[in-house]
Amino acid sequence: MTPVPLLALADVSVDFAGLRALTRVSLEAVRGQVKAVIGPNGAGKTTLFNVISGYVPATSGAIRFLGQDIHNLTPHQIAAMGVRRTFQNGGLFGEMTALENVLAGFHAQIKSGFAGLLFGTRAAREAEREALHRARRLLDLMEIGHVADQPAKDLSGGQQRMVEIVRALATDPPLLLLDEPAVGLAPPVRDRLMEIMRRLAGEHGLGILVIEHAIDLVMKGSDVIVVLNSGEKIAEGKPEEIRRNRDVLEAYLGYG
Amino acid sequence: MRDRRLFYVVPLLALLVPAFTNPYTQFVVNLMLVYILVTVGFNIVMGYLGQLAFANTAFFGIGAYTTALVMVYAKLPFLLALVLGAAAGALAGFLASVTALRGIRLYYLAIITLAFGELMRWVYIHADQVTRGTDGLPVPVASVFGFALDSEMRKYYVFLAIVVLVVKGTSNLLRSRVGRAIVAIRDNEFATASLGIPTAQYIVLAFVWSGFIVGIAGGMFAILIGRVVPESFGLIELIVQFAMVMVGGLGSLAGGVIGAVALTALPEYFRRFPGLEEMFFGALLVLILLFLPKGLVSFFARYLPVFREPLYRE
Amino acid sequence: MFLQLVVSGISQGAIYALVALSLTLVYRATTIVNFGHGDFVMAGAFVVYVFVILAGMPFLPAALLAFALLFALGLAIQRGFIEPIKAGPHIGFAMMSIALGYVLRGVARAGWGREVLPMPRVFDFPPIFLGELVVTGESLVIVGVVAVLLAVFFVVFYRTRTGKMIQAVYQSERGAALVGINVRRFHCIMWGFGVALGAVGGVLVAPFTLLHPDLGASFLIRGFAAMTLGGFGSLWGAVAGGLLLGIAEQQLGAYVSTKLIDIAAYLVIIAVLVVRPVGLFGRVAAVRV
Repeated sequence: MTPVPLLALADVSVDFAGLRALTRVSLEAVRGQVKAVIGPNGAGKTTLFNVISGYVPATSGAIRFLGQDIHNLTPHQIAAMGVRRTFQNGGLFGEMTALENVLAGFHAQIKSGFAGLLFGTRAAREAEREALHRARRLLDLMEIGHVADQPAKDLSGGQQRMVEIVRALATDPPLLLLDEPAVGLAPPVRDRLMEIMRRLAGEHGLGILVIEHAIDLVMKGSDVIVVLNSGEKIAEGKPEEIRRNRDVLEAYLGYG
Repeated sequence: MRDRRLFYVVPLLALLVPAFTNPYTQFVVNLMLVYILVTVGFNIVMGYLGQLAFANTAFFGIGAYTTALVMVYAKLPFLLALVLGAAAGALAGFLASVTALRGIRLYYLAIITLAFGELMRWVYIHADQVTRGTDGLPVPVASVFGFALDSEMRKYYVFLAIVVLVVKGTSNLLRSRVGRAIVAIRDNEFATASLGIPTAQYIVLAFVWSGFIVGIAGGMFAILIGRVVPESFGLIELIVQFAMVMVGGLGSLAGGVIGAVALTALPEYFRRFPGLEEMFFGALLVLILLFLPKGLVSFFARYLPVFREPLYRE
Repeated sequence: MFLQLVVSGISQGAIYALVALSLTLVYRATTIVNFGHGDFVMAGAFVVYVFVILAGMPFLPAALLAFALLFALGLAIQRGFIEPIKAGPHIGFAMMSIALGYVLRGVARAGWGREVLPMPRVFDFPPIFLGELVVTGESLVIVGVVAVLLAVFFVVFYRTRTGKMIQAVYQSERGAALVGINVRRFHCIMWGFGVALGAVGGVLVAPFTLLHPDLGASFLIRGFAAMTLGGFGSLWGAVAGGLLLGIAEQQLGAYVSTKLIDIAAYLVIIAVLVVRPVGLFGRVAAVRV
């Protein structure tokens, strides 16, 4: 039985600043699957995430999420449909505490109108309290509850990464895009990150696309690997297949 | 000193203030109440939203003129006139920020608020058939539910009630998803959008809310001073308001109150000597930026945790 | 009459172009918009006034001295007030520049009271007649000087090593630092130049305008209008915007109402940002969120 694709890109090309950043890339993301996107620097990986999440317009091709055409939508509209992402650097709200960051993630789920919040009605306060409770629990679950009240900019790199992921997960998004989540993390933290990714996909059925440079993480943690080079997809397959792929080895020749 | 309920004590104590004042000092206290709202409103856009904006004096003036005009020409009672002044301020907030819906940000947005503010002042001066231009529009004595506000003390209690309500409402909003969204936009608009939050709408909301509050302040100002002149909303007023926000503390409600209370009485002293007001407030702002950029409230917050303002309610 | 207005518009617009160009220079070099810039322009005018009227200097040396003085002021401001707050929020820079502008304005007002100061005739060039058009001596001087300055500026910018260095830092500060350019010193010097260049605008209008401390505000808004019209951040756009604004003001003033001259700049800003935010030569103005 073929799983229904959450996300489907068909022949997507992206031009900006006079460069062709992506050339006719097609790929799918599927529920319960961790798909890694790898490739040398400048291969177009972050551009891929940017065009999926709406920050960069696709010059041609089709992008569908849950069957709907999203290529013309703005980032917040796409996010509202259920796509969440993390950013390569500086995705957190530095002046807000870790708890407040995660609470921001719950925004859409706090069912209270402007008037209710303004007058402090009981219903509004209940909705807010509920979100506060869930945010705290989520932070505790990820074992960073102890830094909940610290400003995000004062946290360590690993903690910041975790907060950003927790914030992205707040609303149980069907699709999660992680942009180099493991960069600069110590090995035990990276392992935990991988474990979390696998559980989110396997147990909670999220579709996860992750950009990563750490090959070991990618080999162990992902179900499928997509390889980009110079804006083109040059290979896709299971980790063992990719490991043996001639084109991939060539792309990485001299690299890292 | 962790309990926020301490803040409820302040308005109660404030009820006793008139026992210690004479009409002149009471006038100054009333002016402080007006400026508390001005600074709180300004802080929403500059401190919480983090957007440089020059429209605050425009909101102030629009609120003042609207309230005064409907009292003079339509003979409306004060509270109704005040609501209209607030609505006009809110509309001004919308107009000043509407380009944000098309993606305009940062310096462009700052410049358009500057143009808007100065344009409004030109209107006050040149629509002189209606506004009496630079001579000023005299404002009739206000009355509330039959009581004439003909003494500073009476104005005080009405103002106090208004300020407490507005500040409480603002506090509620800031400690909810609305406040968090606005601060999130300040810290990182792209990440905020990635959470499904329609950032442009919240930017406009912040400006509308700010315009509403400052519009109320303008209406209060009109009946306090008794005459509305364009000069009250010009460039000197702008630097005074900037100084109040920065001295108190950007991004803090308590900071807004502190800044207003600290600086309201000062401009009077400088008015006699040409240039002194600009030099003083300009220099004050420079010093604050160099040495205490987070304002007086940051100083208090270090020792009194009750001054730290989380963006949620416990 | 239309052409006559264009002529006087170009003369006005030349000053606006200078103000806008100097604003843009500082913005491109340091990503900071100097909201006090108008007051530095005013300072240029006042300094020249002091030297000519109170110290009795002839105009040209006074102008050069004013340029040097304002250059030094720009350096001092960058070092003393801008550099130290680098770590803070970006709106801090704007606030600092505003505050400094107000201090300058206060000093000017304190020094000269509530009066408006006229400067006696310094130039006495006869007007020239091109067919039916009259080009006043004033216009000739202003447009002439500005044209020369712009020519020098763009030649330096595009043809000399200094210019290439400026371009390099514009494009990438990190890259420039890597090839050995001292970026901090660059910021400092650019502030000096930006302020001094803007002050030249003040120096040029001083002989022809009634001087008062609030001159700065009107220069600032015209500078912004010119930048917005020409495309925020574009050097050529600043010049084009300034000239067009000058012409537009004169046309509006004559054909519609003189009251509009004061607010033409505001209307231009609002119109451009609503209809076509990138202006004539600018790039992306709107964010996609």
